[in-house]
Parts: sequence; structure tokens; C-alpha cells
Amino acid sequence: MMLNALVEEATHLKEADMARHVIDATKEVFSTMIMMDLDANFPLSESVNTFHCSISGMVGMAGTYTGILAIHCPQSFALKVTSNMLGMEVEEVGEDVTDALGEIANMLGGYVKMVLSKGGMDINLSIPTVISGEEYTINAMSDSDCVLVPFTHNEDSFLVSLKLRKE
Amino acid sequence: MANILIVDDSSTMRKIISRSLRQAGLAVDDIFEAGDGIEGLSVLGEKSVDLILSDINMPNMDGLEFIKQVRANGNNVPIVMITTEGGEDIIKEAIASGASASIKKPFTPDQLNEKLGGML
Repeated sequence: MMLNALVEEATHLKEADMARHVIDATKEVFSTMIMMDLDANFPLSESVNTFHCSISGMVGMAGTYTGILAIHCPQSFALKVTSNMLGMEVEEVGEDVTDALGEIANMLGGYVKMVLSKGGMDINLSIPTVISGEEYTINAMSDSDCVLVPFTHNEDSFLVSLKLRKE
Repeated sequence: MANILIVDDSSTMRKIISRSLRQAGLAVDDIFEAGDGIEGLSVLGEKSVDLILSDINMPNMDGLEFIKQVRANGNNVPIVMITTEGGEDIIKEAIASGASASIKKPFTPDQLNEKLGGML
């Protein structure tokens, strides 16, 4: 996995630089809105496309850059995240968890957009999409154009991925 | 005490904003919620509101169009954008359309207090 060469050339950012932005964004969102301090474990050597008992929140980017920012986490951790966000105990994966993961993806996407965009008008963010299930596979664009950052919070772990192309 | 309308397609974010307003110690009375600009206009047709907090990126009617519609209806209530869309050009367009200020997500109750304290 590595950042797309055209993206590197256009942004003057290497994969590690982009990963740093993803790490900073994720840590800020989690510490500010979810009251969780994270550890990042970049880099991850292998691409991950298949998830088990998980939930994925995704937001698309279209414009001068095309891509998908996604957060993938186990359902058990998603329940903790949603509970912290809402300030109440959430015990099942339903509308609240789906909405929370979508909003996290939206905030992370907004942060990345700010890194890539000159003034905010040249890249559009999609409305978030969230999927969950016992086992699912996500295939989008090329695996090689991806920055993948694993995070941990105590015994829990999750991934944030950024697939990006220059248009 | 102020009545506030929160317009955001995320129910989680509406709850967080609502809780943060209370935590910030702002003089808040009733808080109304809407999931997009169309719902927001509907609430404004029925309720008296002293401040609107609105997202930009929403389905059906986004925040920029919502501001324009509110102003086109002759309503001069202060509107503050709370959004991940922090790009300079988007904020300029929001201000030109009639927004008073913007707050970037993620935010803390203290940041809300700092930005909104003078409006309530």
C-alpha cells in the first residue's frame, strides 16, 4: 500500500505525511467528541478488505481528488464509541451506531478535504454511507492507492483508510 | 433565554450540539431539531427561534441553500454554521449568503461558548 504517485506529486505529501494527517484528524475527533485517547500504529503492511462483525462508515470525495475515507471497527467497539458520543449506554447496533459512525467518517473526511482542497469548493464530500455485518468485503479503486492506519484504544482496535486519486 | 434550532442530518451530532449548549452554560430555553434544510424551514414556519446552528453538507437541502431560503423569507435570525466544511471559499459563501459565523467540527463546549456567548 502506498499513496498514489500523482497524489504525491500534486500535494507534495508522501504516504507518511498523509498518514500523519489521518492520525491527527482521528485523534482530534476521538479526543474531542468521543472522549477517547488513541494510539496509532502506522504503517500497516497488508491491505484489509474483509471485515468480521464490524461496521464501516465511509464518505466519498469527488472533484480535483477522488477518494473514500473510511473507518472500520468491530461492532463491540462501535457500541462503546456511540455510547461515549451520546452520553448514554447503547447496547445494540442500530440507528444510533450507524449515524455515529457516519458522522465520524464525515468529520474525518472534512479534515482530509481541508488538507487537499485550496478553498473547499474544488472537492465535494458525499453524504456518509455505513455498512455492517457478520462478514463483508469492501472493494473500491485500487488497493495500492491507499493509506491505512490502525488505531488502538485500550484492548480495542480499528482502522481508518484513505483511498485517493488525482483527477 | 433563547430558543435554538439545530439543523444537521446526523441525529448524533444534533444530540452532541444540544448537550454541548447546555454544558457550555449558555442561556438556552427550547432546542428544536431538523434533519435538513427543508425540515429547518418547516420548523421556522411554526416556532420562534433566536439562533440557528446549521450543518452545510446535508441531503435534500444543504446548509448554503437553507441560509438563502431563510433570508429570502425575510428572517434575520443569526445563523452559525457548524460544519466539517471549513474551506475558506465555502465559509465566504456562507457568510455572503447570510451566515453570521462558523464553528468547525469537532468542537468543544468551550469553543461553542466562545463563539455563541455574545449572541445569546
